[in-house]
Parts: sequence; C-alpha cells; structure tokens
Amino acid sequence: MPNDKERGTGVVVTLRDRYLVFPSSPVPELATPSAQAFIAEDRRGRDKSLFALMVKPGYPPRIPLLKLLKGVDNPGLMTLIEWGVVDWPPANRKVMLMIYVRPGARLWDDSGSKVKRLDENDVINKIIIPVAAALKTLKSQGVTHRAIRPTNMFWAGTEEDRVILGDAAAAPPAFEQPASIEPVESALALPAGRGDGSHANDIYSFGASLAMILQGRDATQGQPEEQVIRHKMVMGSYSALAAQARLPLSLVEILRGMLCDDPNERWDIEAVDLWISGRRLTPLVPRIEKRAIRAFALGGRDYMTARELAIGVQQQWETALPLLVDGKLELWMSRALDNKDKAAAMAAVLAADSSAPDRRMSMDVTLAKVCMMLDPTAPLRYKSLSTMLDGVRWLLPIAMAKPNSGEVRIIAEALMRELPKAWFETRDAYSPDNSVLESGFRTQKNYLDRGSIGNGIERVLYELNDSVPCLSPLVVEDYVVELRDLLPALNAYAKKKGETGGGPAIDRHIAAFIAARASFDVERMINDLATADPAKLVMTTINLLAMIQWRLGQSGLTSLSMWLAHLAKPAITNYHNREKRKALEVELPKAGREGSVVELSRLLDSAEERGADSRGFEEAKVKWSEAFRQVRAIVEGSEEISGVAARTGQQIASLISLTAALITVSFLLVEMIL
Amino acid sequence: MAKKPVKKEKPKEKGKASGGGRIALMFGLICLIPFSIPTLLLMFAGLLPTLVAALTDRSNSRFAWICVGGMNFAGLAPALLKLWFFHHEVTYAIYQITDFRTLLLAYAAAAVGWMLYFGAPPVVVTIMLATTKRRAMALEAQMKKLEEEWGAEVARRPAANAGADDGDL
Repeated sequence: MPNDKERGTGVVVTLRDRYLVFPSSPVPELATPSAQAFIAEDRRGRDKSLFALMVKPGYPPRIPLLKLLKGVDNPGLMTLIEWGVVDWPPANRKVMLMIYVRPGARLWDDSGSKVKRLDENDVINKIIIPVAAALKTLKSQGVTHRAIRPTNMFWAGTEEDRVILGDAAAAPPAFEQPASIEPVESALALPAGRGDGSHANDIYSFGASLAMILQGRDATQGQPEEQVIRHKMVMGSYSALAAQARLPLSLVEILRGMLCDDPNERWDIEAVDLWISGRRLTPLVPRIEKRAIRAFALGGRDYMTARELAIGVQQQWETALPLLVDGKLELWMSRALDNKDKAAAMAAVLAADSSAPDRRMSMDVTLAKVCMMLDPTAPLRYKSLSTMLDGVRWLLPIAMAKPNSGEVRIIAEALMRELPKAWFETRDAYSPDNSVLESGFRTQKNYLDRGSIGNGIERVLYELNDSVPCLSPLVVEDYVVELRDLLPALNAYAKKKGETGGGPAIDRHIAAFIAARASFDVERMINDLATADPAKLVMTTINLLAMIQWRLGQSGLTSLSMWLAHLAKPAITNYHNREKRKALEVELPKAGREGSVVELSRLLDSAEERGADSRGFEEAKVKWSEAFRQVRAIVEGSEEISGVAARTGQQIASLISLTAALITVSFLLVEMIL
Repeated sequence: MAKKPVKKEKPKEKGKASGGGRIALMFGLICLIPFSIPTLLLMFAGLLPTLVAALTDRSNSRFAWICVGGMNFAGLAPALLKLWFFHHEVTYAIYQITDFRTLLLAYAAAAVGWMLYFGAPPVVVTIMLATTKRRAMALEAQMKKLEEEWGAEVARRPAANAGADDGDL
C-alpha cells in the first residue's frame, strides 16, 4: 500500500470505482517506451502493492491480450488485475489504463549496462522455469507475448527468486523489441508491422534474451540494426548472439534450439519443458543461408545471398528495376545460386512487367514480387513499407497517427494492388491460416475500392483491428473502442461545443467505425451517407445514430440530441407541408431536450406522415396546375371575350329595339281599337 | 403530274335561291305599289335613318339597321297606323310627311336606336370582363394558398407552356 508521500498531492483517477491511480506519482522504473507507470491502490485490498500503466495516446493496446490475461496468476507473468478506459485529467482526455501487481526490480537496465551475472542453476530455476510456464500459459490461451526481452523482465519480488515477463499489451506486438531480440524475418519488418506472429517468435525472443542474460551483456550493442540482421542471416542467430561467449554446455543446447532460424525446426515450449525435465535433445546444426558463387552487384554493393539482395532491392527501390532486368537476375539465380526453378519464376515476373500498361505501378508491383521471391520468409516489402501480413492491422493505426508521413497511402496502395495475394502465392507450403488472412485482405480491398464515406482506408483500419479506438477528431479524446462508447462520446463533444457549433455528427472515421463495429446491419445507411443531398445526409445520420441508441438501449443523450435537432433543420425540408414544418420546428427541440435520438428519427422519418405529406403534395400540384391552366385560359381569352361581348351587346340592343317597336305598335293598336 | 381539275364549288347556290326570293319579293312589292303609294311615301320619308343605317353598316353582324330600324319604326308607328286606319290617301301621307312632329318623333326614335347600338356593347363587355376577372382572382388566390401551404415547388407549370407564360402571371 502506498504511503502519503508516494500518493502525491494531485488528482486521483479511479478505475471501475475500485482502483485508485495517482497521476502525480509516476514510477519511471516500471514505465515502458509506450506507457507511463504510476502508483496505484486497491480500495478493497490496501495491502496489495499495485502500479498502473497508462498507454500513451497514439499507441493501440492489445485488447484481446488484456481480456485473456486479466486475473491470470502465473509464476512467469506480471499479474494483470484490471484494465479499462479512464478520464486522465493531466492530459484532459481519456486513456487506457492497466493495473498490475507491482513487481520487483527490472532484471536488465534500460541503458543496457551490465547486470550481475547469474549462475547456471539460477538461470534455470529463476528464469527458464517461470518463463517457460508463462509461455505455456500463453500458448494454451492462443496468444503470443511478443515483448520478451531482458529490459521487460522483472524480479517477481524483493527476494529475487524468479523472473516474470513484463507488460505486453501496451503497444503493438514486438513494437518495442530491438532487432537483436527478434527473429530475422520479424526484425526485417517495421516495428509496428511485426504482427502477432507465432509462439516460435516468443521462443526465439526468450532464447535471445537468455543469451544476453547469460553473457551479462548485449553482444550486438553498438551495431546498427541492419548489421545485426545481416549477421544473423549470414552466420545464423546463435553465432551472431552467443558464439563469442563462454556459456555452460548444458545451456548451449537450449540456446541453439531456441535460436534456430528456421521456425519449423526451432524448439517449441514442449521441447523446452523436456529440456527442463532433464531430457537431452539432439543439438540443432545451424542452417546457413546458401551463398552464391559470385556476387550480384546492385547500386555499388555486392550481394552474396538472395535474402541480402532482397534487402538491397528495397533499399534502392527507385533505381533497382533496370538493374534486375535483361536476364541478369535470372542468370545469377540459376548459375550463381543454382536455383533454376526460382530463376524461371523470376523471369516470368520480370517479363510480365514489361508488358504492363501502367509502367510506374507495374514496376512497384514487380519489385515487391521480386523481393518476395528472393526471400519468401521476409515481410511484405513495398516501397518503404515492410510488414508481416498479420502486422498490417497494427501498422495502420500507428501510421494514421502520423498523418503526413505518407505511410498510410503506401499501405493502401499495397492492399489495392493485391500484394498480400502475391505474398500468399509465393509461400512454399499451404497453410489454412493464410487462406483466412487472404480472404480478409480481399474484403479490405473491396472497402478501399469503394472509397466513399464508411469505406476506404478508415474502414480497413477498424475492420482489421478491434483494439483501435475511433480516431475521429470528434471523439478521439474519449477513447472510443466499442460501439457502446460512441454515443456518450458524441454527447460529450456536443456538450463541449454547444448545439450549434458541432458541424456534421458523422465523419469518415465515425462512419467506418460504426460499419466495422456494429453487430447489426447498417450497410445500407452507411452507403446513404455518401449522398450529396444535405437533407438526406442529416436524415441518414440521425437514423443511424438512432438505430445505435435503440439497439444499445442508451438514454440521457441530451446534448447529442439537441445537436442533432439543430442539424436536422435541412431534414425538415423533406416535408412539403409548411404547417408540418412549423410543427416539427417546435417539436424537434422538445425531443432534443428529452435526449432521445430515436424520437428525433421518429418525428422526422415517420413513414405514415411522409406518405400523407407526399400524397397531399401531389394533389396540391394537380390543383395548382389546373388553376394555373384556367387563369391562363382567362388571360389568353380576354380579347376574344371583348369581341363576343360586343356582338352580344349589339344583339341585345337589336332585341331591345325590336321589342320597343313591337310594344309601341301593340300599344297603339290597342288604343285605336278601344 | 397533271393537276387534277378542281371543280369550283358554286357558292352562289344559296345566294341564287335568296336572290330568286328577293326578286319575287321585289316583284310582289312592285305589284302592291299602286295600292300602297301613301304608305310607301310615309315609310320612305320616315324610315330614312333605317335606310342610311342599312347602307352604312359594314360590320359582319349587320345589327345596325335592325337596331335603328326597330326604334325608327316605333317612332313612325303612330303616323303609320293613322294612315292605315283613317285616311289611306296620298294627300294625307304628304300631310304627315310635312308634319314636323311626325318626322321628329321617327327620327328621334332612330337616334335612340343608334344610341342603343353604340351603347350596349361596351356595357356588356365591361360586365363580362369583370366577371372573368373575378374568376381569375379567385383562382389566383387558390394558387397562392396552395403555395403557402405546400411551398413554391408546388407551382410547377405545365411544361409545354411554362416558358411562354412566365410573364403572364
């Protein structure tokens, strides 16, 4: 339990009404590059020593991992007590917070300085056994750690009797791993694009960490990452990381097993278990990359292996293609590397390029395919992009956080040009997992092809990764990860901006977020958002948000409803009847004050009233046209009326005249007779 | 191609018939002349305005001589009836013609006939125009009410004449 001094004097943040976090009391020794650490306390168990990790905004945490590891008590894992989104007053926004049981000291200082060396038994009992238990648990849960490195290992307590693995959820998988700790293929990818990988990656990272711990130093310290990777490729990982050191013979075997560069031959957790229980396995002989009998010169550098050449091609992307054509590459592969099959396949790819109509695009795709064929185990390479296929989902949110870097455009290009499909086609063996991934990327390409609001790269972002919060400027500070958090966040935004200052309530990010997260059918409404008609757009916005409110049973969204009621003014014009419009202008603010978007939708989009309005309007049009026709007939016939009237007047005058004559004669006759 | 000879209608067919009738009528009247010289004398002098009206009326309807004639005859009727019932003689007829009051009455009545002829049409035109104007105003009021109730978009003029009628209303 923290004392008063540790708690500090600033604000206190509460998670789930139980865990208190003290933002004014940081714990730098427990922080990670993507998360800050703070003192924490459990209201119900003050004797527990806890700390909180606050994920820095912009880093998507691994929520599936958090869900699986919450409450898991494992001798090799830091115990995750709770996690969730909280208001963070110092940043004036919401953040993701994780509460862990506070461990002892960090095993390896961040500065990489030497630590005390452990003897063979200590390494086995205090590190290998607990970490193997952790890896076994992770494997049984179907997740990977991807943050196993000496700087992320802690003593479980002050007794220093066992080591535990630190947090793995605060950043994308392997995002903070140095290249020396990662297998070659993963190290070749951009840090955010390394992907969840497999348990073989965790085993490798554990082996590499073990090699550093046993030597008491990082054998690659001071070397550029590219050089480390090249050494691993050429000499093998074991040689690159541990060959120089004098290691206990019994540990050489496990290190060789865990640092095997071929993931299919690398020891798995069962093999490690067998080793712990005393079974000795056949030592693995490192398989060295096949070297060519003569070098391939590219951009002033000589390359002796296909994998190195693949790196070189990506480094000289803009100028590489002319140097690869004219049969030079096929010749080198068939003669210098003695790989005739691959040489033939390469020739086919390069020949297809010359016949393509869009030269620039075709050149990029060809180079990407050449890289894949030169090094099939490597990540997908395209221009400056280098990512594992399962890493795209993590790379994209990190790229989105850097809007001017151009990375998003490159990722979108790679997906639209179907490079994942080409990547899967170059696999040596069939894998059902690949089929699932490939089908997923086909779907994402469709979203990119559509491009309208609710689709495009934003849709891909949210479809690929459930952990990414909505990045719309409207709600980004509210850390909306699930759909049920969206309307309250919009409500908070409306409260802050006032009902008239909010602008549109749904932007590209929010539309894509809803489309990706909704468990009910919203696709038709999402497509309707692309309309250019402002009244229809507002109506669709209200209907969509109303559907979410109705489905999730949320209430009290007064500010949001008032905002939407204000935005709904163009939608009122959907009604033709002026009396109805006036009535709506009175009723909408009332519904807004009730906090019901559903009521707004009902008022504005009642099918019955709309039908009556349309029918009335059609009848009115007919009446107006008929009246107009009659008026026009009157105006046009006025001259004719004058003519007719004059003739009638003459007739009447004649009639009067004749009648007068008749009466006079009759009167005179009667007078004479009498 | 040779033109098909078009036989001209004979529009005079009816005219011929009426012309024949007219000749017969004239013949009948001429036969009556020896027996009605006094009447003819009086009528010729008394109905001169009617004769003038019949000769000067160039309108299609040719209502002027009826209008003037009716009133003219009414004005001459007292003298004519006296001639017929009391002294059907040429001397009496001449006496009547020379009587200032007889001709004044006949001609004044003819003047009233002229006044009727010229005065009745404007009155009728005014009445008819006033009626149609009131009808047009009622229709325009109905249109305006529809526009107020349903908006200007209700006023969609018939397409064929919309452009031509823009300035009318």
